Amino acid sequence: SRQVASQCRLLQSSSARPLSPQLPQLPDDPIPLQDAPGGLFQLPPGDPFPERVTVAWLSVVAIALALVCDPQENLSLAEITLRRLAPRLLHSLHLLGPGADVLLRPEVADGLLDRLLPHGEMLFLNQHFLQAVDREL
Amino acid sequence: MFTAAAESFLKQAREIQEEELRRFASRVASLLQGPELGPEAVDCLQRLHLTVAATKYPRRLDGKFVELLQTVLCSSKCPEQVQVLCAAILREMSPCNDLILSCDQIQDTKLLSLVSSILLAQGDKKGEVAAVGQRIVKVLERRLPEGQSARYILPVLSNVISLSPESLTEEQVNVVSKKMADWLRYASTQQGVAQPSGGFFSSPRTKQPGPVTEVDGAIATDFFTVLSVGQYHTQDQWLNVQAFSMLRSWLLCYGDKGLKTPKSDDRSGMDKSVMSTVSTLPTSSRLLPPKERLREKAFEYCQRLVEQSHRRPLKKDDADLQKACLIEAVTIMDIICKQDSSYVHRAASFLKVLHGRICGDATYARALLPIAQFFLNHSKVAAVDSDAIYRHLLTDIPAQLFHNASLAFEFVQFCKANSQLFTETSSVFRQSFPNLFKFLAWNSPPLISEFVDFLPSLLDAGTAIEIFHLLLDLPCLTAALDVQLRSAALPTSEKAASDPAVPPSTCLEAFRHPLYRSMFQHLLRAKSTSEDAPERLIPLRQLLGSLASSPRVVQCAETVPVLLELFFKVVAEFADGPLINQLVVLLLQRSDQLCEIPAFKDDVYRVLSSQLVVLCKLHPALIVELSTEILEFSGAVSNIQNKEAIFTHVVWAVGEYLSVCYDRRCTVEQVLRFFEALEAVLFEVTQLRPLPTTPGYPPRAISVLMATLTKLAARSQDLIPRVSMFLSKMRTFVQSPAVTSVYQEEDLEEILIRATELLNLLKMPSVAQVVFTPPVASTRFQREVNNSLPCALRMVTRLLEPTPGFMPG
Repeated sequence: SRQVASQCRLLQSSSARPLSPQLPQLPDDPIPLQDAPGGLFQLPPGDPFPERVTVAWLSVVAIALALVCDPQENLSLAEITLRRLAPRLLHSLHLLGPGADVLLRPEVADGLLDRLLPHGEMLFLNQHFLQAVDREL
Repeated sequence: MFTAAAESFLKQAREIQEEELRRFASRVASLLQGPELGPEAVDCLQRLHLTVAATKYPRRLDGKFVELLQTVLCSSKCPEQVQVLCAAILREMSPCNDLILSCDQIQDTKLLSLVSSILLAQGDKKGEVAAVGQRIVKVLERRLPEGQSARYILPVLSNVISLSPESLTEEQVNVVSKKMADWLRYASTQQGVAQPSGGFFSSPRTKQPGPVTEVDGAIATDFFTVLSVGQYHTQDQWLNVQAFSMLRSWLLCYGDKGLKTPKSDDRSGMDKSVMSTVSTLPTSSRLLPPKERLREKAFEYCQRLVEQSHRRPLKKDDADLQKACLIEAVTIMDIICKQDSSYVHRAASFLKVLHGRICGDATYARALLPIAQFFLNHSKVAAVDSDAIYRHLLTDIPAQLFHNASLAFEFVQFCKANSQLFTETSSVFRQSFPNLFKFLAWNSPPLISEFVDFLPSLLDAGTAIEIFHLLLDLPCLTAALDVQLRSAALPTSEKAASDPAVPPSTCLEAFRHPLYRSMFQHLLRAKSTSEDAPERLIPLRQLLGSLASSPRVVQCAETVPVLLELFFKVVAEFADGPLINQLVVLLLQRSDQLCEIPAFKDDVYRVLSSQLVVLCKLHPALIVELSTEILEFSGAVSNIQNKEAIFTHVVWAVGEYLSVCYDRRCTVEQVLRFFEALEAVLFEVTQLRPLPTTPGYPPRAISVLMATLTKLAARSQDLIPRVSMFLSKMRTFVQSPAVTSVYQEEDLEEILIRATELLNLLKMPSVAQVVFTPPVASTRFQREVNNSLPCALRMVTRLLEPTPGFMPG
């Protein structure tokens, strides 16, 4: 499931449907993740995953991240996990910058995912545990 | 999609040829075999990873090289960054035949986790999942060496059981269950210590850590949970978090009595009977078998989480986690009760209290769903009246929180999971369906496919009409919800009711206007109503037209045609004659009363007109039974311009089905009445002296009118001379200068050809009768004959006026 999650990040930004009424046009401001558009939708079996899945997605300026879950998983936790992964990925991989870190530094993404989504498992981490994770990284 | 630099890297990586890749791999190999694995090795591995990952087809790397990667990965001197990169490359190449990795000898838990991730990606062709599962349990069983933590391998176990639950024997399940119970219940309640940073000046004595606290800062007085707070954490506290994070899937997998696995011992039969006697007796939990003990500890944990979730967190972000924990706790309690009904009474009273605490707080709304689900699953056993819970959920929540997209999604999932409840006519579930459409109206794109799944459960003879109106008014509902939200946001001073004598100029004003208030209330109603007067919403629809360009309204409008088609498809399966008649009448009526969105109206007309044909095929007698309404509709020339699709199909249906073959009550007078009405329309439309302001009429409508008149004449043959005369005048019509300037040349040609064909057919009345009054098509062949009417006409025409060289086949 970690593989799937990282595949999704690259492939599904097109199917994450950020159809909100307004699109913010502020690339330079600090990313207001609280208000970042996001949502949930389902994909039927076969398209493209063999079983029915629920996708939680989050869009930050020009990047969209998607987390693919089984339909029975805790979707609130999925949204929280995404909102935690997003700024850390954006920051560590300089996703909004001109470079190509996202392609050339897979160990950074893997490291983050290994801590926040180990083997695809979502963790109930309160803020202090999260800080501990950040210290370890 | 990517930045320019990234795009170019990707392109380069994809274009690397096999030979170049081979050379690069051998360069990497020599670096990896060198004394030190420095930045150059890292850089090369990164590029190698990109090359392997960039293509959709698998890249082949030399078997020896793959072995080298695995050796490097497992070597104790390998820096972590290199390890992770090697693992990433090996995973990218999965499934890989050259894998020699085995987790059997690995002691280091971090490495074990990395290696497991590679093995689990192989597709389990060689039993890798079971092997990993076995190894993990073995490591967990024993005491871990100093410096090692089970923290890194527990998620592997979670992955294993989701891939292949049979990987573990019953005994192993018990071992892990026992450990999980301990981790959940007996983690340290003292904070951890900071890892000593080492170094010459660091003091070996560190400050005594204090007790853990709750999220609101109070000292914790009970056992450690995911909502316990500490500056630093001990290993068992980490395990507490991990154990809870995997608890739900563990219980779902192994919580039920007696998992039958091919590897379970023969003793399992005996164990089961021992377990079942024990669980009914109140006993010290230490004597409980592992599964039962885990259940007990898990239940207590969930209870504690529920209590903790009401505290006001010092860190705002913990509030979100509290809600997620609450949802998880209730869900797990539900699972536990399903597996052991002795917990139901405890849980029911506990959750009823919880419900009372949170039902007024919008931030806890998502937790109401698992609570309701619990009572749906267990209220009979609990002998608890949970009607109030369902009522609150279905009437208040959608009305107040339709704009919360995540809640909307989960709510609709809840409805789908319990769809059988919506089929019971008197249930509060069924009564509240208008409320549910608010979710769809506001959050159309993610919810349309969910509603396509769910709508059939709502549809039956009792709800069909109301849902028909609801669907047609869905974009207006979106607009109304928007007005409602904006109105609620206004300061109180501006909320006073406006003067009834002054008509409102904006939607916001209308919301407070006494005359429009009841219209809004009807549109925004929470309960199903049998009251059926859609025309009273006409002024409101017109006013809401000002919001027609709002993106949300447009998105909603796009979903309606899909739902309408589904609606008719489902209704066709159960509708009887009277319901079909009712729908047709409403269809014609509502064609005038649609939300004022141009593209929307066209799409709706398209669907309604094709569905009208379907209804006529199901119940052809409706033409006769509804002759008044249909006459009125088809006799109005304005309908040709405004609703061309519907008009054309209505007229076509008249031609097809107004016949004594379909309804014995079809009299000669009826045929004549229809004939005269349509003749008048055609006359007006094809006036030979049109005014400059007369618009062109859709050519298809003209053709259909001519064809229908001909069909009626074929059945009532004294009408033939009238039609023939009319048709022969079409040549003049088509050639008149006023007409040629308004219509396309091809269209006029088509009209003329059709008129000529029909005219010729009427010269042979008996043939015409056969062609135009086919028996009710019961076989596919006959239906195809009906559909090939234009071909038939052309054949007949050719027979009557053979062109030179034409040889009848």
